[in-house]
Amino acid sequence: MIEIKNVSTSYDGEIEILDQLSLEVKDGEFVSIVGPAGAGKSTLLRLLTREIKPTSGEVIVDGVDIAGISSREVPLLRRKIGTVFQDFKLLPSRNAFENVAFALEVVGAKNAEIADDVPKVLHIVGLSDKISSFPHQMSGGEKQRLAIARALIHRPRIILADEPTGNLDLVNSYDVLKLLMKINELGTTVIMVTHNRDLVNAVGKRVITMEKGRIVRDQVEQGKYII
Amino acid sequence: MRQALNRIFHAGWTNFKRNSYVTVGTTGVMTLVLLLFLSLMALNFVSNTIVSSLQEKVDISVYFKTTAAEEEIAAVQDDLEAFEGVRGVQYVSRDQALEEFKQRHAGNALINESLAELEGNPLQASLNVKALSTEQYATIATFLEGNRFRSSIDKINFYENEAVIQRIERITNGLRNSGFLATLVLSMIAVLVTFNTIRLTIYNQKQEIEIMRLVGGSNRHVRLPYLVEGGLYGLFAALISLSIFYPAVYYASPRIARLMPDVNTFSYFAQHSWQFVLLIAGIGVMLGIVSSFIAIRRFIKI
Repeated sequence: MIEIKNVSTSYDGEIEILDQLSLEVKDGEFVSIVGPAGAGKSTLLRLLTREIKPTSGEVIVDGVDIAGISSREVPLLRRKIGTVFQDFKLLPSRNAFENVAFALEVVGAKNAEIADDVPKVLHIVGLSDKISSFPHQMSGGEKQRLAIARALIHRPRIILADEPTGNLDLVNSYDVLKLLMKINELGTTVIMVTHNRDLVNAVGKRVITMEKGRIVRDQVEQGKYII
Repeated sequence: MRQALNRIFHAGWTNFKRNSYVTVGTTGVMTLVLLLFLSLMALNFVSNTIVSSLQEKVDISVYFKTTAAEEEIAAVQDDLEAFEGVRGVQYVSRDQALEEFKQRHAGNALINESLAELEGNPLQASLNVKALSTEQYATIATFLEGNRFRSSIDKINFYENEAVIQRIERITNGLRNSGFLATLVLSMIAVLVTFNTIRLTIYNQKQEIEIMRLVGGSNRHVRLPYLVEGGLYGLFAALISLSIFYPAVYYASPRIARLMPDVNTFSYFAQHSWQFVLLIAGIGVMLGIVSSFIAIRRFIKI
């Protein structure tokens, strides 16, 4: 599913962010990535969405080295992936329905399909009553659930979650985690970057620990948060 | 295809509607810019009318000796009409000249008596020559100097009017050049102001554009609604500026006519109203679209 081979990235060719990193993630896995700030965790996710390119190495998603794809192909890659961010990244001028619908519009879904699927996914994340609300009218937890709904709507094979609970309280954090685990149970690969020890320990699946751009620990089963 | 177009227009319209402060600000600035364009057009019209009416007043007359034969005068007229730069030649015979003179002085007993005492017609036949432009009068005068019937010509009044003609020429050229320069400079300022306003509007939505890209929006999905939004600013600005401009011209037109009777500004703009509506709407929409297009390029690279 995802294969990262000897990848290095740097800013301005000087400061190394990732250093000869290699990693393989299988279809349907739930992977938590932990590590201190500046370890390169978010950079790893940004490589997978082609926000940045590696300075060397290969990033293979679904059999394609995405470092080499053209800028026209980047949207096609992103449509295979659902992304959840710490700061939600919702479209402020669009309501909940329209935020989720946008992810379907870009894949060319029909209006009937959008009208049918969006309320369903909003129901799954518990936002049926917020369908016409704008992001500024929602709480942090609601915004993140909306972001997850958007990430789910086009049934991606991979969900990348970058500090999805970073701005949430404990109750909301667990809600979001439960959602991500449910998505994973349905067969979607989930890669979550987090600082939240309790959440990682609650998942109890594969945990990768990063430091200074390298993987220093990879607990494939029953992983715990260890730094 | 139709569904995609609908979505693009719907998204553009939604952006336009929901960002009400930005919409009012941007449309307001563009309205001022388009009003500036319209005012420049009105100024150009007024100054062009003044220039042509001044030029209309200028001509030169060639007076023939009383002994000159009609055929000679006709030959000179033919020569003139064939000469490049001549717009028209009007022949005034001696009898016509006398008739006009009498009419002009019908109430003047002294002149009438003096005329009655004269045996023949003292007035000369003449040709009134109008050129295509004032600069050509000197050439026409020189051409007449070298004419085969020069000996039948008594005088060419170009030399008496030369100073006035040259002055009118200087004024009209000055008006034209300064009008052109002002239009050019102000148009450039207007385009820059519009571009900058739209750039700021788009900059406000930078985050939104980046998010669209991150959830898999292609350039087309992200860009086209903003182009529609830019076009809508231009279209609404055009409608507002036209609905301010026409009543303003209607109000100002009689006042301008009082100063310059030849100039009927409102009737000119009313006669060409469709052209002006299309032109201003076209300028507004194009300015909006092109400015959005340039502004969005920077943020679409993610």
